[in-house]
Amino acid sequence: MKNNFSTIEKFVGSLKFAIVLISLFTVAMIVGTFFESYYGTEFANRTIYKTFPFMLLQVLMGLSILYAAYLRLPPKKRLYGFYTIHSGLILIVGGSFITHFAGIDGNITLPPLTPKRDIVLDSDQIRITNLNTKEVITYELPDAAFETDIDSSQDQITIMKFLPYSEKKLSWITENARNINSSLRSSSEYFLSNGNVSQDFVLSLHPKAFDFKSNLQLGPLNIHYLPSPLAPCFGQNKPSKTILWNSELQNCFFPEDRGIEIKKTDSGKRFLVIKEGQTIYTFFPDVSPYPLDTSFNTIPDSKYRIFSKGIFETSPNLFLFGKQVAYYDKDDKKWSVKPIKTKESLDLPWMGFELTLLNHHTDKVPAYIPQYTIPIQKDGKMIKGGTRAALISFNGHEYWIRDDQAITLTYRDTKYKFELEKKSIRLPYELSLTKFKMDTDPGTNNPASYESFVQLFTDKGPQDHHIYMNNPLKFDGLTFYQASYFQVNQDTYGSVLSVNIDPGRPIKYLGSLLLVLGSIWHFVLRRKKVKPPTQVANA
Amino acid sequence: MALRPKKKKGKTTNTGSERMKKLFLMMTIFFTYSLAPAQANELCLGKEIGDHAILQNGRIKPLYVHAGELIKYITGKSKISDYSALEAYCRLSLSSLFPTLEMKVFPLIEHVKIKEILELEDNKQISAKEIDENYRSDLLLAMRKEVEGSSLQKSIRRLLSTINIIKDIRAGTNWVIPTQEMSSIDDFTPINTLFSALDPSQMALSSELISKEINARATQYTKTFGQETHHKLEYSYAKLRLPVIALILTCLAIASFVLFRNFNITIIFSALTLLVQFAYIIVRIIISGRAPITNMYETVLFSGFASLFFTMIIGHFKKEPMFVKIGLGHNLLSIFMINFSGGMLSASIGPLVPVLRDNFWLSTHVTSIIASYGALALSWVLANSLLIRNKVRPLSSKEIRYQASIMYTCLKYGIVLLSAGIILGGVWADYSWGRFWGWDPKETWSLIVLCIYMIILHGRYTNWITERRFIPFTAVAFLSVMMAWFGVNYILAAGLHSYGFSEGGAIFLGSFFAIQIAIIALTTPKILKEN
Repeated sequence: MKNNFSTIEKFVGSLKFAIVLISLFTVAMIVGTFFESYYGTEFANRTIYKTFPFMLLQVLMGLSILYAAYLRLPPKKRLYGFYTIHSGLILIVGGSFITHFAGIDGNITLPPLTPKRDIVLDSDQIRITNLNTKEVITYELPDAAFETDIDSSQDQITIMKFLPYSEKKLSWITENARNINSSLRSSSEYFLSNGNVSQDFVLSLHPKAFDFKSNLQLGPLNIHYLPSPLAPCFGQNKPSKTILWNSELQNCFFPEDRGIEIKKTDSGKRFLVIKEGQTIYTFFPDVSPYPLDTSFNTIPDSKYRIFSKGIFETSPNLFLFGKQVAYYDKDDKKWSVKPIKTKESLDLPWMGFELTLLNHHTDKVPAYIPQYTIPIQKDGKMIKGGTRAALISFNGHEYWIRDDQAITLTYRDTKYKFELEKKSIRLPYELSLTKFKMDTDPGTNNPASYESFVQLFTDKGPQDHHIYMNNPLKFDGLTFYQASYFQVNQDTYGSVLSVNIDPGRPIKYLGSLLLVLGSIWHFVLRRKKVKPPTQVANA
Repeated sequence: MALRPKKKKGKTTNTGSERMKKLFLMMTIFFTYSLAPAQANELCLGKEIGDHAILQNGRIKPLYVHAGELIKYITGKSKISDYSALEAYCRLSLSSLFPTLEMKVFPLIEHVKIKEILELEDNKQISAKEIDENYRSDLLLAMRKEVEGSSLQKSIRRLLSTINIIKDIRAGTNWVIPTQEMSSIDDFTPINTLFSALDPSQMALSSELISKEINARATQYTKTFGQETHHKLEYSYAKLRLPVIALILTCLAIASFVLFRNFNITIIFSALTLLVQFAYIIVRIIISGRAPITNMYETVLFSGFASLFFTMIIGHFKKEPMFVKIGLGHNLLSIFMINFSGGMLSASIGPLVPVLRDNFWLSTHVTSIIASYGALALSWVLANSLLIRNKVRPLSSKEIRYQASIMYTCLKYGIVLLSAGIILGGVWADYSWGRFWGWDPKETWSLIVLCIYMIILHGRYTNWITERRFIPFTAVAFLSVMMAWFGVNYILAAGLHSYGFSEGGAIFLGSFFAIQIAIIALTTPKILKEN
């Protein structure tokens, strides 16, 4: 038995074993650098550098280094350098493991003059908030690189799958519920283009189309998506240019159709009044689409809305009603409504633009369904696979949550909010960015230095600190470094600080020192004089 | 001058007919377009304006250097037709005022696809104006169709930026001169502000006026701020062309031992080479105000200098001329790259990204890394020379053992310096952005280099790497250095160390790898055979 053990010791401490380990380590690192360059830092970490096999390799290397030294004991003078190198290496490996398991590495984003206290870490979590009781449950997601099945359940919620890298793909999902108001549930996909630019977009009125809105701004062009029964009124060029919409009856009319008089206030603002039984609605069509009640408060949930077409005549506005299009023609000085069929194009009066209807549905909901993809990085930016997503099952139905969109679901009168976010740690004090300073090189816009002036709000009152490149702030065991910045307005910037705790630091530093000194010592002790062959010496 | 009497004459004969007026007008036009350009020509001859200060890319430099770098960037050449870069730059800058100074500029076009878009036949050139007028939309369209970051897209972007620079120069906005007030060291204004201030009636005198004004301001600027800027020194430095001198000296040093077998002469030429390189590096430090190792150009220059310097010292103490020979070999390669690599290694001195602005860490970390690459390059030079010599005339086992011991000495220095450099880098990273090690490609590759040489050193103690195998192994191992030094920037191009990134090196690196592998394949079987 003892013999067996010493054989293993000899094997682990042998040079050949060390060579095999270093070679494997080298190959893994080479692959890692290529992964990093194609797929990004995080993907390389999650497939190579921070995986179990790579860690195991490092542990084995540590053991090999340890046994190599152990086998060469008792100490011999000519090996002093060798012992020093090997103890240095063991300290570095040990220190790195302490940093990996006990350290914290995150960052804190500071918009100007906004106190913050959360340090954002690298791992992801799902946060489920019960909006009624404010109770929060978090579920930590694995640091995976590929699509991962999870199947973790609690009550009526199951987290089924996690996609660390995904692309959003537009899908049309058939709705099971019987639809009552088809025009209020319509969704359309259009394609707008001229010779130079093109844009694909989806607009929807459907209440479950979480990813889409009913209006869009493309450069100077405003696009509005409206229920189709409104279209006929856009086509009629009546003098008041004011359309009323009854969302209950799904119809539209002009005030003059029903003999409603448009009056003017003393200041010249147009207004009109509708009486319906006891209720009185007052409209200021050029100010707001919502009616006011008798005490001049807005009624946001009223069944009536008003549109003053006149205010949309001065700038490019496009009104879409699914299969109909309306706009104001400046040359003819009138509104026109035109039909558009699926897969057909229509010329618009602005800069040679052409509109194509790609899809139109009233019984299907458009949604972005995440699909796993290997991420792609170019010039330091992720250009593909930048969305994280998780599939959950709630009350028997499946839903996708993404890091760029939270969803809220109801179960037995309780609302739950689901978020996919970065894990974070709360600091016992707050940080606020009082000023961010960026100097540029003379005559250029290239930054020459970044500096953050921050204020710390602790129990003992506020403290001012100045953080810049190569001058971090050390406070309460944490170190804050100037990492990045972002633009908020023309001349205001926010700052990103990286924050860490590194308990392995002193050990790694000591190890490094021993390694360098040891290798010098080793080469000095092991100097060998090889005599030159005579013919060379004569040459 | 010549106009004055004519003007008077015009006034005195005011009572005369319309014909006189016409004549006067014609004379004015004649003088404007014939005399003025002649003087403008003189203005652009370059003797006087070359050392004028100009503010470009965040730095005060001499116009001579700026014009040279810019014309090289635009055309890939150091001249436009028969005009020197400075003359061409000057003429183009003044061409909006004096149309006769106008000349055609042919931007550098290398991408085959761009040549197709521009309908360019072989060996034909197309001027910037023609591209701008006829092909701009085609280029934009082709660029939009490409995947983000593709080589064609990058090349088109470069071409369009080149065309914009040419437009800038022609508009007189690229050439900036000190303002009248000179309120601060970086208070400059485009030269075209002089044009608009000119009195139209004195058009004929304009070139003389401009020339006077430019010279006056340059002199005044040097008087006011000359103590703080180094543009005069940089002008003389650029004119001296020290890298060419160093190249000639290195060649002479090598020739002296190869052809004449006189090692004393070699020592003298090596010492002279070192002196010239040292002067070149020192002046560069004075001009840039930082350690001379912040871009590819400087690291290549420094590694050649450092290895020749150390091999001369080690060779002296060990009484072994071989060290100096391999030192010269490496220095020749690096100085050759400095002189002829063109756009791959840019000699331009520019401001640094903020994270690098720490002279202590920059000079310790980068210097030790580059010095270690230099030392490893020595072992590589020797390994290859042994492989080739053995192929031509087999070496004795004794000689191989001796040469291997020299290689081993170089490796020792290289490895100690590299470990120290990696650790210093870790400490700097920890100090300035809070992590000792982050698996960034540049730092990972330096660790890969260390591991590969560790495999060789450990393997030497086993029967896996014998004395004879040691030689091809050392030659191949240097490919990892090339990858860490150039490959990360030219091929991987990602990560935090992105400040050192340059373009156009992939072909260089690819051919380097191919040649090295070919040498190994051809020579290794022979060296592994015992005689």
